[in-house]
Amino acid sequence: MRELVVKYLNKEMSRRKFVGTLTKAGITVTAAQGVLASVSSVSVAQTGPAPTPPAGAAAATAAAPATAGQATTAAVRAVQGTGGSAFADQLIASGVKYVFGNSASEDAPFYDALVDRPELKYILTPHEGPGAAMAAGYIKASGEPAIVMQAAVVGMANAIGQMINAFKEQTPLVVYSYRSDQTGSAGRDGFEEVANQEQIVQPFTKHTWLARRADMIPETVRRAFKASWTPPYGPSYISWHKDYNQTRIRADIVAQNQIDPRMRVRPNPQEVERAAKLLVEAKMPLMIVGDEIYKAKAAPKAVKLAELLGMPVTQARQLYANFPEPHPLWVGNLPAGTLNSITWPKDADVVINVGNKLQHNSPAPIVPRNKKFIDMRIDHWSMGNVMLTEVPLVADVGYGLDDLIAAVEQLVTPALKQKFAERAEEVKKVTTQMRALRAGIVNSPDWDQAPIIADRLTHEISRFADPDAIIVHEAGSVSLHGFGFNPIGGRELFFYYGAHLGSGVGTAAGVKLARPNQQVICLVGDGSFIFGPTALWNMARLELPVITVVYNNHAYSGPHSRAISLVPSGRMVETGQYYHDYLGSPDMDMAAIAKGFGVDGEVVHNPAQLREALVRARKHTVEGKPYLLDVQVARKGIGWAEKPWVPPIQIAGLRTRRV
Amino acid sequence: MSKVRRACFAFALACASTLFLIAPASAEQTQESAKEPAKHPGLELLRSKCFQCHTDSMWRDARQDARWWEAALYRMVGRGGVWTTEEIKVMADYLGTDFGPNAKPPERAKQ
Repeated sequence: MRELVVKYLNKEMSRRKFVGTLTKAGITVTAAQGVLASVSSVSVAQTGPAPTPPAGAAAATAAAPATAGQATTAAVRAVQGTGGSAFADQLIASGVKYVFGNSASEDAPFYDALVDRPELKYILTPHEGPGAAMAAGYIKASGEPAIVMQAAVVGMANAIGQMINAFKEQTPLVVYSYRSDQTGSAGRDGFEEVANQEQIVQPFTKHTWLARRADMIPETVRRAFKASWTPPYGPSYISWHKDYNQTRIRADIVAQNQIDPRMRVRPNPQEVERAAKLLVEAKMPLMIVGDEIYKAKAAPKAVKLAELLGMPVTQARQLYANFPEPHPLWVGNLPAGTLNSITWPKDADVVINVGNKLQHNSPAPIVPRNKKFIDMRIDHWSMGNVMLTEVPLVADVGYGLDDLIAAVEQLVTPALKQKFAERAEEVKKVTTQMRALRAGIVNSPDWDQAPIIADRLTHEISRFADPDAIIVHEAGSVSLHGFGFNPIGGRELFFYYGAHLGSGVGTAAGVKLARPNQQVICLVGDGSFIFGPTALWNMARLELPVITVVYNNHAYSGPHSRAISLVPSGRMVETGQYYHDYLGSPDMDMAAIAKGFGVDGEVVHNPAQLREALVRARKHTVEGKPYLLDVQVARKGIGWAEKPWVPPIQIAGLRTRRV
Repeated sequence: MSKVRRACFAFALACASTLFLIAPASAEQTQESAKEPAKHPGLELLRSKCFQCHTDSMWRDARQDARWWEAALYRMVGRGGVWTTEEIKVMADYLGTDFGPNAKPPERAKQ
């Protein structure tokens, strides 16, 4: 059939012969005419006789629907060209503006197609990991699709870490790499060939698919974007044999909005009523907020619900700040990630989670079982896995909050209104006191010391940052304070959740690409920084004026202390011989590394220098240039010697030749 | 250090670790702690302020003076600890004594 259609479309066969051949094959005349009509709709789309496309250049032709009656002329275009050019055309139709890629020679037809498609911008990233982080940062900050592409399984392997992050963080990242084998030679252990490479990424992708034919490339691409961008979001991986990129094809390019299910779910009305009743009757309700609020731009609705009930608000670990921290109902993050660790209120009897994935890191449930628990999320997959759920509200949290607010408003009497107002006052008194006490951090006896302590550095940056700055935070052992994050027009936070390190610098570059008119500051530990500095080069090349601040204590301080907690009073502590945590001897100079990538920077040793350095950083970014501060930070905590022990591996004594 | 005393204290250590990865104090430990009568006001404060997040496993080997402990407690303020200056002083004073430079060295774990 396929050969028949190709012949007909190439004008090598008449209509009569086409129908006649089909009927001879056993198809009824009616069915054969139906096939002809369908095929003709594609044919009509061509302007004039279908030419053989020039090698490497697709001939996107006049638009016409390929599917009768449904699509508009702008929605579907029939194209002919190489698989690579059709790939590019479908990316444009799927709304992609930026491609984040590392050099892959077998994608040459795609690169060739870019020459005549300036609307599709290719960003060359020197390493696939930070490149994928940059794409993810762009997607998160812009809400727009992007794709990461790299060479075969070997490039994919470098991007895997950030795919894990995207999976854990539920970022709609689409990743492509070709299979290095030719269609006809697959399975012969060829160059870069690994059997079933798509299976490597299946555990941490939402969708994995292979194009089985070259003309299925566009369909495969749009299906990946559909899967990734249908809530709950997640990464997709697509692949095809490398020769498909050169194969000449005809295919439909379909606008993404023609296949997007636009899934925005309202919660079950009966469950909404039950949730409203529980909240209204609660002695002390508590709201946990999460990233689905940021993604749905629903923070004002979360504020409205909290204010309606006089309900305190907290958050367990997430990527974003999802509630205004300066708000009087904000009681702070859960310090140890579970409700048992909350300072106040200790007596919450009804807990509502709005959009938090609630990552469990210990056997104890984050929400203890003696609380009545309402769980509102679109990520139904993880609901009820650990916590008992009194009221499940599977919903887009924007709609869910709308419906819940309406239901609560119906139940509120003047007496209840008074009660909620009194509770709000009680919460406000507590949070006002909390803020005052937390501000006391400046009384630390180490506050003015050099090397600077991490809390002082954080404090200085919180005073320096613009009111609407975006803080990209990959300094895992550093707790941020003083920023007063506010997703409603204030400072925003882009933290990490997946914990594959090396994402911070790339993420910051991607965020700045998406939000060029907001100050972007990247806070990164030295251990994290060294996993992914190559994105600095992208900052320099693209003139992305990001301020990168490295908390450089020449150590993995988080793993240092966690190891001690796992083996307290052990031989490590007794001898001071820690094998896994000291990054000094020699110390790494991150400012020098930055200069190698074309980014100016400096090393900062004490608080006075820091303030002057921040002024220089601002001057650079105002002029459109990125800047890096390598701030020497004190190692604090048990077991740190002034000059830490280094495992005695000495090769010098083994050398017998001066070579 | 006695088992009972080990179980009595808990607060975080320094830039050490991210609190979300610290194991919460177990109910067993908390109950055991409750049996021990408090002698120093700092001990009572430690019991009430710190166990909610973690056990003592990361810091109980430390032997440092009160100033060092005070700085460590302020690092916990940065992680969400809500304590007054006076409370921090009292806790640091206690730790600087019972976990001070001259205190009994840590009991080593059996291999």
